[in-house]
Amino acid sequence: MTVAFKLPDVGEGIHEAEIVRWLVNVGDSVREFDPIVEVQTDKALVELPAPTTGTILEIKAEAGHLAHVGDVIVVFGNPGEAAAEAPSANTGTAEAYVSAASGTAASATAAAVSAPQSSASVSHPAGRPLATPATRKLARELSVDLKLVPGTGKAGRITKEDVQRFHADGASGSVSAAPAADESPSVATAPAAKTVAPTPAPAPLTPGAPGTEERVALRGLRRTIAQRMVHSAFTAPHVTAFDDVDMTELIQYRKRANEVLADRNIKLTYLPFLLKALVSALKAFPYLNAHMDDAAGEIVLKKDYNLGIAVDTPDGLLVPVVKHVDRKSILDLAAEIKTLVDKTQSRTLDVSEMKGGTFTISNMGPIGGLFATPILNYPEVGILGIHKIEEKPVVRNGEIVIRSMMNLSLSFDHRVIDGATAVRFMNHMKRLLENPNLMFLEMN
Amino acid sequence: MVVGDIAVETEVVVIGGGPGGYVAAIRAAQLGKDVTLIDKDTVGGVCLNRGCIPSKALIHAAKTASSARKADVMGIKVSGVEVDMEQVQVWKGGVVQKLTGGVSSLLKANGVHVVSGNAVIMADNRIGVETAKGMEYFKFEHCILATGSRPVQLPAFPFDGEYILSSTEALTLTEVPSSLLVLGGGYIGLELGTAYAKLGSQVTVIEMGPNLLPGVDPALVQIVKKNLKKLGVEILTQAAASKYEVREGKLQVTVDVQGQEQVLRADKMLVTVGRRPNTEELGLEQVGLQPDARGFLETDAQMRTQHPNIYAIGDITHGPMLAHKASKEGIVAAEAIAGHQSAMDPVGIPAVIFTDPEIATVGLSESQAKEQGVRVVTGKFPFAANGRALTTNDGDGFCTVVAEAQTGVVLGVHIVGPEASTLIGEATLALEMGATLEDFHLTVHPHPTLTEVLMEAAADADGVAVHIAKRR
Repeated sequence: MTVAFKLPDVGEGIHEAEIVRWLVNVGDSVREFDPIVEVQTDKALVELPAPTTGTILEIKAEAGHLAHVGDVIVVFGNPGEAAAEAPSANTGTAEAYVSAASGTAASATAAAVSAPQSSASVSHPAGRPLATPATRKLARELSVDLKLVPGTGKAGRITKEDVQRFHADGASGSVSAAPAADESPSVATAPAAKTVAPTPAPAPLTPGAPGTEERVALRGLRRTIAQRMVHSAFTAPHVTAFDDVDMTELIQYRKRANEVLADRNIKLTYLPFLLKALVSALKAFPYLNAHMDDAAGEIVLKKDYNLGIAVDTPDGLLVPVVKHVDRKSILDLAAEIKTLVDKTQSRTLDVSEMKGGTFTISNMGPIGGLFATPILNYPEVGILGIHKIEEKPVVRNGEIVIRSMMNLSLSFDHRVIDGATAVRFMNHMKRLLENPNLMFLEMN
Repeated sequence: MVVGDIAVETEVVVIGGGPGGYVAAIRAAQLGKDVTLIDKDTVGGVCLNRGCIPSKALIHAAKTASSARKADVMGIKVSGVEVDMEQVQVWKGGVVQKLTGGVSSLLKANGVHVVSGNAVIMADNRIGVETAKGMEYFKFEHCILATGSRPVQLPAFPFDGEYILSSTEALTLTEVPSSLLVLGGGYIGLELGTAYAKLGSQVTVIEMGPNLLPGVDPALVQIVKKNLKKLGVEILTQAAASKYEVREGKLQVTVDVQGQEQVLRADKMLVTVGRRPNTEELGLEQVGLQPDARGFLETDAQMRTQHPNIYAIGDITHGPMLAHKASKEGIVAAEAIAGHQSAMDPVGIPAVIFTDPEIATVGLSESQAKEQGVRVVTGKFPFAANGRALTTNDGDGFCTVVAEAQTGVVLGVHIVGPEASTLIGEATLALEMGATLEDFHLTVHPHPTLTEVLMEAAADADGVAVHIAKRR
C-alpha cells in the first residue's frame, strides 16, 4: 500500500509553499513524525514530518518547486516496498497531514482554524471550468489557471476574453504589464500544464551581455514580499507624516529602570515603551487601529491591539506580531519581543505568530537614516517608522540646548485617515514619550 | 550507415509508427524538428495493420453479406450469398496497403527519416536499432516512446495461429471457420465474433464476468446482446475456459459455465482477454524508467515521463488503449518538445465499439455523474423514432444524453445504434465546447439523418422533444 502525501495547509489561508529542501531521498526509510521536507510558505520556513512509517517511493516536487496545497509532493510505501507499485497520485490513500510534534512546524491549532479560509477559486458547474479547447490552450499559454477565472458565458462558460481579461488584471499590478507574447520555455524545465502557475508571467526583460549581470529567481519570502508590497502600494494611497520626539526624559527613565533590573539580568530597549505609547495613541484614534476591507467596502475598527514589529532577516522582512499589547506590562512586552525577534531571525516563527496584526512598527533606529516612507502592511491602515535617537541642538525656552531626539515616520492609508488625524495621533504619542510619567498614568 | 559506434544525430526519435508515433513524428517535423521514426514492422502500427482498419474492413464485408440476406424485407431478393474469404482478405489487404502507403508518403513528405528495426534505449540520449543491416545508433535530444500493446496470451491457451488465435490471426483467416469460440466478451471479441457470425460461423462467446462488454453501461449492451442472439451467437457468461485439446482437427475446450463443466467443440478459438503495453525489452532501465506492474508508464499532462527528455504516448500510458487517444497524445508530446504549451486535457475521449448495432460513448454516464455527486438530468431518444434509421432498416438502439441539472451542461452522451461511431463525433465536440442541452436542441440538425437523435435526446432532457411522447 502506498500513501500519497499532499502538501498540507500549513497555516491560515496559505495556498502554496515552495519546497526548500528535502531531508530524505527516494528509497530512504522514515519513521512517522521524522522531518522529511522543509517548505517555505508566505510566512515561515516549516518542517513537515512523515505522516507514516515507510519508504520514500517517489518525490513529486523537487526543491525549488512551488507546490499548491493539495498537490502530492511525496509518495510513501510500506517499508521495503518497491517504487513500481506506486499508484498515480489521485488513487493514493492521500491524507493531508499537519504536524503538532515538531516545534518548528505550524501548530495544529493554526491548521485547525485554517479550514474555512478557501482559495480564491471560482465554483464551476459540472465540476470543471467550462472552456473550449482553444480557450484552454490560451490559458496554458498565458499561465492562467482556469479554475480561478470567472466565466461570463452561458452556464458560466469561460470565454477567450475572460482569460485575456483575467491575465491583464493579474499583471496590471506588476511592474511590467505587457502580456507574455513570445514565451518559449525550455522544454526540460517547462512545468506540466496541469500545474501551471497561477501568477501571470510578465514579458521577460532583454538579458544583458554575459557576465554583466546575475539573475536571481524571485522565490520564497522575497516573492511574497514583492507581491505584498505591490498590492499594498497600488491599493492604498499612502501618505507619510514626519515628526521628531524629544527622548531625553525617557532615556533617563530607561537608564534607571535598567539599573534596577540589572540584578535580574534584564535590559530594556526602547521598544516596549514605544509600544505602550502607541497603544495609548491608537485608543485615542481608533481609525488608525483598523483594517480596510476592500471587498466589503468597509473599515474594520479593531478592538485588539496587536502590534506587528518588522524584523530584518537575511532572507527579507518578516513581521511577528505582539498580541494584546494593551494588556501586558513593559517587562512582559520586553520578554515577548525578545522571543519573537529571536524566533524570527532563526526562521522558526510559527505562522500564527505573524497573524492578527492591527498596526505595524518598523524600527530603523539600530541601522540608521533620518526618515523613511514605510509601505503599509495591508490591510492595516497605519505603519510607524521609528528612527535613531541622536543628540541634536534644539531650542528650548529661547536657548539652544542639546537634547536626544528621535524621528518618527508615520505612513497611513489616506482613504481611511486624513492628514490632520495622523498629525494629532503623532502629537499624542509624542506627548507621552516626552513625558514618561504621563504614559505610566495611562497604563492598565 | 557504417557499422560501428558512430551515432547519427537527430533531434527527436520516435519509437513505434502506429497512430501515436507516426502522428507525433509528423507534427514534430512540421514544427521544424529533425525526426527519426523507428518501427519494427510496417508503419501504421496495430491500428492500420492488425487492428482498427482491417477489423473494420472485415466487419463491413460481413455486414454487407448480412444485409444482403436481410434485404428481402425491402423486396430485394438475393439468393445464394457466398463469402469468398480469400477475396475478402485481398480487398482488406488493399485497404490496409492504401492507408499504410499514405502514412509512408506523409512521413516522407514531412522529411521524417524512417528506420526499420528493433529499438533499444542505451543511454539518456542514445538509442540502438537492430536493423537488417546490423546495429545503427542514434543520438537524440528527445525521444517519444509509442510502442503500443499486444494481445495478452493465456498460459493455458498459447497462440498457435491454427487453433488458438489472437485478434491478429483472426483478421487474416482465408476460410470462414464453421465454428468459432471467442474467449473474452470484450469489445474485440464481440466485434470479430459478430463479423464471423455474419460470415457464417457458429460463434460461442465465453465471458468470465456476468456481463458482456465489462465497463460499458448494461443498458447499451442489452441491445447488442439481443442482436447477437438473433444472429445465433451463443453467449456463456460467468464461464471460464481451463484447457483444450485437438482431436481429429477439432478443438475440444473445457469450460466451466456457472459451476458446471462443459466441453465445447469448435474449429478455432479466438482469445481476446486484453492487451498488454509493450514496455519490456526497450532498455527503459538504462534511463531509470520503470513501468508499473501492468506495464504502463506514468506521464505528466505533456506526456513527459519521469525522464525529462523521454515522452510516452498511446497504449503504454494510462487510460483507454485507443488509437485516437494515442494520436492526440502524440501531437501533445511533439508540441511540448517544440516548446508549445500543449497538454492532454480532453473533457472526454470517445470510445466506439463496432458491434451490431454500434456502441459509442463519451463523457460521464448517469451513474458515474451521480457517483461524483453531480445532480443530473437525462434525455433519451430511440432510433425506432428516427426516420433515417427506419429507411435503412436499422431501428435498434437509442441515444442517452446526461447533463448537469442546474446548468444543462452536457456531461456525457451514450449511443447504441446505427452509425453510433460517427454520431459520437458531434457529441465529443459538444463536450469540449461546454455545450448545454439547449445548444444541442436549438441547433438545426439536417433531416432525415441519424444526427437528429442527438437533438431529440437533448430536447427530451429539457422536456421539449417533439418526436416522442413526454416521459414525465
